[in-house]
Amino acid sequence: MSTTTPQTAHRKVSAEEATEIETAFVARHRQKVKRDRQMALGLNILGVVIFFGLWEIAPNIGLLMSPVLFPPPSKVVEAAFPMILSGEIPLNIAVSLGRAGAGFAIAAVLGILAGVGMARTTVLRELLEPLLHAFRSLPVIALVPISVLWFGIGESAKIALVATGAFFPIWINSFIGVRDVHVVYLRSASCLGANRFQTLGMVILPASLPFIIAGLRQGIAIALIVLVAAELAGARAGVAYMMSMGHQLFRVDIMFAGLILLGALGFLSDRLFVAVCRRLFPWYRPSA
Amino acid sequence: MSLIEINEVSHLYVGTDGEPTWALQNVSLSIDKGRFTCIVGPSGCGKTTLLQLVAGFLAPIHGSVTLNGEAIRKPGPDRSVVFQEYALFAWFTARQNVEFGLRVAGMSAAERKKRADDLLAMVGMSRAADRYPHELSGGMRQRVAVARALATHPEVVLMDEPFAAVDALTRANLQEELLRLSRELSLSTIFITHNIDEAVFLADEIVVMSAHPGTIKTVVTIDLPHPRDRGSGEFAQWFTRINHLLHDEQAVSA
Repeated sequence: MSTTTPQTAHRKVSAEEATEIETAFVARHRQKVKRDRQMALGLNILGVVIFFGLWEIAPNIGLLMSPVLFPPPSKVVEAAFPMILSGEIPLNIAVSLGRAGAGFAIAAVLGILAGVGMARTTVLRELLEPLLHAFRSLPVIALVPISVLWFGIGESAKIALVATGAFFPIWINSFIGVRDVHVVYLRSASCLGANRFQTLGMVILPASLPFIIAGLRQGIAIALIVLVAAELAGARAGVAYMMSMGHQLFRVDIMFAGLILLGALGFLSDRLFVAVCRRLFPWYRPSA
Repeated sequence: MSLIEINEVSHLYVGTDGEPTWALQNVSLSIDKGRFTCIVGPSGCGKTTLLQLVAGFLAPIHGSVTLNGEAIRKPGPDRSVVFQEYALFAWFTARQNVEFGLRVAGMSAAERKKRADDLLAMVGMSRAADRYPHELSGGMRQRVAVARALATHPEVVLMDEPFAAVDALTRANLQEELLRLSRELSLSTIFITHNIDEAVFLADEIVVMSAHPGTIKTVVTIDLPHPRDRGSGEFAQWFTRINHLLHDEQAVSA
């Protein structure tokens, strides 16, 4: 009956043959999945390599600007390497990460508490919602000069700035997530006998988790932006402090080393965050 | 004494236009233990409102709803609800969903796992116990939802068009299995549907409602033995009769 192989009539597949076909099929499938993953990783790396390659070539052939103003990656690495060995760069990274991490942690705790409280309590919501919307449209960077005037350039002032910046996206997203928990979830919980606290812990928080996670992710990005602004306004260590030193010494290569570090920190913290989410919440898939 | 007594219940709600609408007016109904009651009616007849009053999601503006003679004040595990869809907790596996009502009641982990596994076996979902709802088909999700509703050993199971969102073949399977469970566990069930075929297939009693305002038109007892044959003349007669009752209504209200 077959149109492709008219010379051989097809017969039934025996049980052993079926197992064989299945094994081969599964092996092929696994191999394809593995190949696809390797391919994706290869392309990811290739993109980065092409980017740095073009960047290396452009200043050397006099494109855009002189190599002094626009140093190629080789010059940046050359400048950064001794600073890594001397411990200067690791120290600056540690200081910056410490500030960003502390500020972010404070923002996460307060933002989630405020968001949940506001979404579950009508009085709080009506009292605070107009203020929330006014404050969240305010760029926190605008608070940096005031903070320097009020609190100086100490550690706690910087951490407070980072926390303020990261707080708003976490607050608003937690609020929206909890406010919009589907009523069917709440009704299911109540008709199965859950009390208020059980409903909060086992239903409301997990149901709003996608929003809370989105808020935390935005919070990480904003924490890094505010961190840089705060360090540029005056600091004794930190990645952005290192860049402002490079600026004053006319060492553009050091400034670029700082830029690369900031990009890497932002990228790695976001990846780490996604990985932690996958681990903790297997039922939830954050996009990319 | 009946299991559930709905006594001269009227309920109002305010629509989005700010106008009050009578969802129910002077509705009285007695439901006996162990009966399968289907409520059918056109949209706007208040059948879902009626179910929500029994569930305790709403309190009637006038009249009373009682379970075993006691007024229903709030939702509770003695009246579990199976919703149309999207009611399984997405962050829990099938087993964890079934265990929910037992967990909040403080049952030990081993005991509730056993009961959940028994229930999952009963609805034919043992193999999917550790899967998350998004990994299950619509029909499988409703099986788990039924298991979850039965876990707390409710006095009555309230079902709000539970099979409306699954395909016809799956729906027929689910209906047969629900009947089997009803008999095995002697459940008392209130089942809302807009599907006459479903009501005639399942029900001991069919409550026919009419709209604007929501009232009970009539209650009929279907005395056909189970399993009911959809191709039989008697089935067709019942279908036609319920259909007429509903269509009169639509002719009047149109």
